[in-house]
Amino acid sequence: MSHAVISCLHANLAATEAVLADIDRQGIEHITCLGDLVGYGPQPNEVVELIRQRQIPTCQGCWDEDIIDGLNSCECSYPSQLAERRGHRAHQWTDAQLSEENKAFLASLPMTVRRERLLFVHGSPNSQHEYLLPDMDAFAALERVESSGANTLFCGHTHMPYVRELSGGSIRVKVKQAGEEAASERKLELPMRRIVNAGSVGEPRHGSTEATYVIHHEDSDEIEIREVAYDIERTCRAIVDGGLPEVFAWRLSHGFEYAERADDASHVCER
Amino acid sequence: MERWALISGLKGDLELYEQIQRDLQATRGVNTLFVLGDVISPERNCDALWDRLQNPKRGDLRPNCIYGWWEEQLLAETGFRGDRKADALRLNHGEEVVDALLRAVDPAHLRWLVSLQFGFVELDCGLIHGSSADIGDELTPETSPLILIDRLTRLDVNRLFTARSAQQFRLELTGGGIDSHVKALGGEHKQQQPVPKRSVIGIGAGAHYTIYDAGSDRVDFLKAGAKAVANGRGFG
Repeated sequence: MSHAVISCLHANLAATEAVLADIDRQGIEHITCLGDLVGYGPQPNEVVELIRQRQIPTCQGCWDEDIIDGLNSCECSYPSQLAERRGHRAHQWTDAQLSEENKAFLASLPMTVRRERLLFVHGSPNSQHEYLLPDMDAFAALERVESSGANTLFCGHTHMPYVRELSGGSIRVKVKQAGEEAASERKLELPMRRIVNAGSVGEPRHGSTEATYVIHHEDSDEIEIREVAYDIERTCRAIVDGGLPEVFAWRLSHGFEYAERADDASHVCER
Repeated sequence: MERWALISGLKGDLELYEQIQRDLQATRGVNTLFVLGDVISPERNCDALWDRLQNPKRGDLRPNCIYGWWEEQLLAETGFRGDRKADALRLNHGEEVVDALLRAVDPAHLRWLVSLQFGFVELDCGLIHGSSADIGDELTPETSPLILIDRLTRLDVNRLFTARSAQQFRLELTGGGIDSHVKALGGEHKQQQPVPKRSVIGIGAGAHYTIYDAGSDRVDFLKAGAKAVANGRGFG
């Protein structure tokens, strides 16, 4: 059996429809969504309703949380003040557009979805806002998986799909306690664990314009990263017509990673 | 040369603090005092100790204070942590203890208390009541080394001094490693990451405190009123 994992749809209906069609073409029935259904994109209601209609198990993303709880829930991950101002505009726009029923749906989403030894989260088991980047400290990455009691952790949030296998690990320690004459030594063998980042359906930042998601082939336990082309023009037009910042359309059409990253040392989160 | 005294868990006991100050005056070379929280407790009125910490007497080593678990509970209960109240305290000890804690500290001290930091980073050392993850995090010699590496990594320090467990210990990461294999659309990347040579030091609580010599990386675990450091059970 195979199982698809999608994340970070960001109110991009064309991308979401294309990815779901790609999943359907392969006859995959089980889908899990890692949140961020809204934010940046022009069709928040349509995307939320599509996920609700398809009854896709979904955990809450950071944008979903912010729309419900307000911007105070954010731990500020904007790369610059400019990006933060645009993020605020997207937040206000989405807040105004989203129906109360769809907001209630976002509020009802769980932080995690667990299926046996598979754990599904938006950012990390600690927070929807924590980035598990592919090059983060390997021990800290393993700690996130191991502390959550999972073998494989599925996450999103970074918009960059990857599969990271952590194996062959061990830690040796020497302990000296007050009152003891000699130090003791021990060795901890670490288990093999895996982090799978599903990338982003609606806001790709992996260097290409195509939507990304992953398929977990459960029989072989292998992960396949998929790229799916979609009608970018349709989404970009809706962004501009809807009055969202045009840069959101520009970066979708260019597939720029961190399109708004700026060397802004003065940036301090206002929240 | 930096030589630190690290104490915690005074819990309002001014006499104990004065004894530690006398010890430190008799100990050669200690030039900095860190108080890693839990200055207050519901067990006694803490105002006299609070006053002394804010207004050291002549000859006192001036204390550098951070807040601890008990202070966090008081700040939460008195509205300095948003909507959050002293839930952990209420859950574990009940309403009576919450009331006793409120009575133990004059509200006039809250302004100073709220100005205290979560922790210090000095040289390549992190000084925190619990850990970089949570003020209530109890790190002990039995804590998984994987968790300890995480707590060290979060602060990006080589030594983490912690007080929450009240235990005195030094745990050194001495070896090992892990293989990381990343597959992405752009290709694959394999890496072997060694265990960093770092330490977690439990400084004790109450009468049990720690002296750290930053130059030699020597740690001495002491007890108030006991023998001087020169005769202590230190190790490098």
